[in-house]
Amino acid sequence: MSRKFLETESPGWVTDGLISEAQRQQLLARYPAEVPAVGLLPLLGSVLVGLSALSVVAANWQGLPAVLRLALLLGSLLGAYGAGTYFLRRGNADLGHGLIGLGLLVFGAAIILVSQLYQLVGYDVSGLLAWVVAGVALSYVYGSRLLVLLTVVIGAGVQTYCVQALGSFSYATAVLVAAGLGYYWWRRPEVVSSTVLSTGLLWQAGLLVLALHAKITWFFVPAMAIYAAGDWQARGNGARALQGPPLVAAYLFMFGLATFGETDAYADVLRPPLLPYLGALGAVFALSVAGKRALGRLNTLLDWLLLLPGFYLPGGLPLAVATLVVLYAHAGSVLARAHRNQDSDQLTVGAVLFVAATAVAYFKLTWAFLDKSLFFLLGGVLLLSLSWYLRRRNAQTLAAAPPAPPVATPDDAAPEPPASTHNS
Amino acid sequence: MADLLTWASDPARRRPLLRLLVAAQVLYVLGVAGAGYATTALGQHIVLATTPVDPRDLLYGDFVRLRYTISEAPLRQWHGEAPPKRRQGVFLLLAPGPDSLATAVGVYPNSPKAGPNQVVLRAWVTDVYRHSLALRFNLERYYVPEASGLRLEKAGRLHPLRVHVSIAPWGQARIARVEEVMVRK
Repeated sequence: MSRKFLETESPGWVTDGLISEAQRQQLLARYPAEVPAVGLLPLLGSVLVGLSALSVVAANWQGLPAVLRLALLLGSLLGAYGAGTYFLRRGNADLGHGLIGLGLLVFGAAIILVSQLYQLVGYDVSGLLAWVVAGVALSYVYGSRLLVLLTVVIGAGVQTYCVQALGSFSYATAVLVAAGLGYYWWRRPEVVSSTVLSTGLLWQAGLLVLALHAKITWFFVPAMAIYAAGDWQARGNGARALQGPPLVAAYLFMFGLATFGETDAYADVLRPPLLPYLGALGAVFALSVAGKRALGRLNTLLDWLLLLPGFYLPGGLPLAVATLVVLYAHAGSVLARAHRNQDSDQLTVGAVLFVAATAVAYFKLTWAFLDKSLFFLLGGVLLLSLSWYLRRRNAQTLAAAPPAPPVATPDDAAPEPPASTHNS
Repeated sequence: MADLLTWASDPARRRPLLRLLVAAQVLYVLGVAGAGYATTALGQHIVLATTPVDPRDLLYGDFVRLRYTISEAPLRQWHGEAPPKRRQGVFLLLAPGPDSLATAVGVYPNSPKAGPNQVVLRAWVTDVYRHSLALRFNLERYYVPEASGLRLEKAGRLHPLRVHVSIAPWGQARIARVEEVMVRK
């Protein structure tokens, strides 16, 4: 609740007799107005001065002697870290962490620029690996969300460079990010960091599949391994946040299969050898089920519906029908779970999934037979009635909820990505 | 040390740990620079010739892509018992040829003993053909000062470039400079 909201609304509360004037004053005193952001002006000023200095240096970079370049790089590295600790000591955590993050970025820039200066960047990735190590170490020391985010992005960037420019996957980078930040996540499963880490690891998994020229469906083995790790995490929020991105990926794939899969053209790039693929995915599935059972979360088991390897079916109608059934079953499972937990966000997610499945079904199964205007009419009516039914059901569920429902307010729910709100 | 994360994020340890980390980063950057400097100062010098390159292929942003005459070695120069494999690390024995350009003497799976005037260059097999080997040396990129890239590109299209390479005693190789060969009319 913001101070401004309190100031505008509280006189009304007094008139309505909700609170007394004295209580209003107490409330106002409890949430003091923030100190006006005068401190921001010198900061902005110094950023501008810094930018101008940066442009001067960048413009003359090639002309500077090597020693001066090195001194400039190391000077800004030390300056950023020094300023970061200074502001942390003064209690300005955001700025402090931001400056330490800047120091980390300068370190990477220094590695790259010095390597270029001495023509050492060829196919050598060990220099960039040091950058990832520094990021992981700083994340450990400061436990800052920003540093975790930076490290994940740096890891993904280094890996992208390796695969794109050097044509080889750097297992060391992947292991460093997965093990280093994975352990961090295991101890501190914050929602945002978990989602970021999960997305970064998915990116690297995608690059691995790309670098190995493997069938793209192999992607789901590492992706679901990340999901399975979430099943062993005791703290539910962090667990679901980590599981969100793999689930979104699996859903998008299944959705794509339902939409475009009826031509057999894609089938060849999707079908890995049956037994190794199912064996690997089965092992991950077993791990996931064991975790769910150990922590009493078997009600999320139906997430795995999205991983049914429907792409082994012959293209055409069987594949279309099978994927649609899976999409419906998955949407139904989300709706049922939300209904049981009386979770309004989940009901919304489930309804959207249901409507999406219906739209695909309608598009796939009737397009050929119907006149177009009739198609739009029937489709619109179908979607409207479905949304009406689901909204009614939604309302009934919430009306039946106990007086103090464990439902998040819209404010809390808004920033979370849809799939990470599959809270059980 | 029950929990690494708790141990590392203890406020009392923050400052010493950060100092350690920053010192390590500074030393690392200095190490990269030192290695680059020492390679030229202590290493052996060779001159390699490039083959003319497809101009579309040559300039990638701020670096030039180079291809050397020694990037392809005939298979009869291979001195290993097992046939070479892709991605295998190998050693190329070089000796100065005519015009002081280095030419390949042999390709070895293990570091060979270099005779007088001979130099060993680390290489990696990128492809094995029927009669030859394609090699790379991590010297295929030359970062050029902004304006001169175009000049090198034009030069590389018309005639070969001469690339001066330093090889450190510990095997690291780097490009010292690239020059155009004056065409004699």
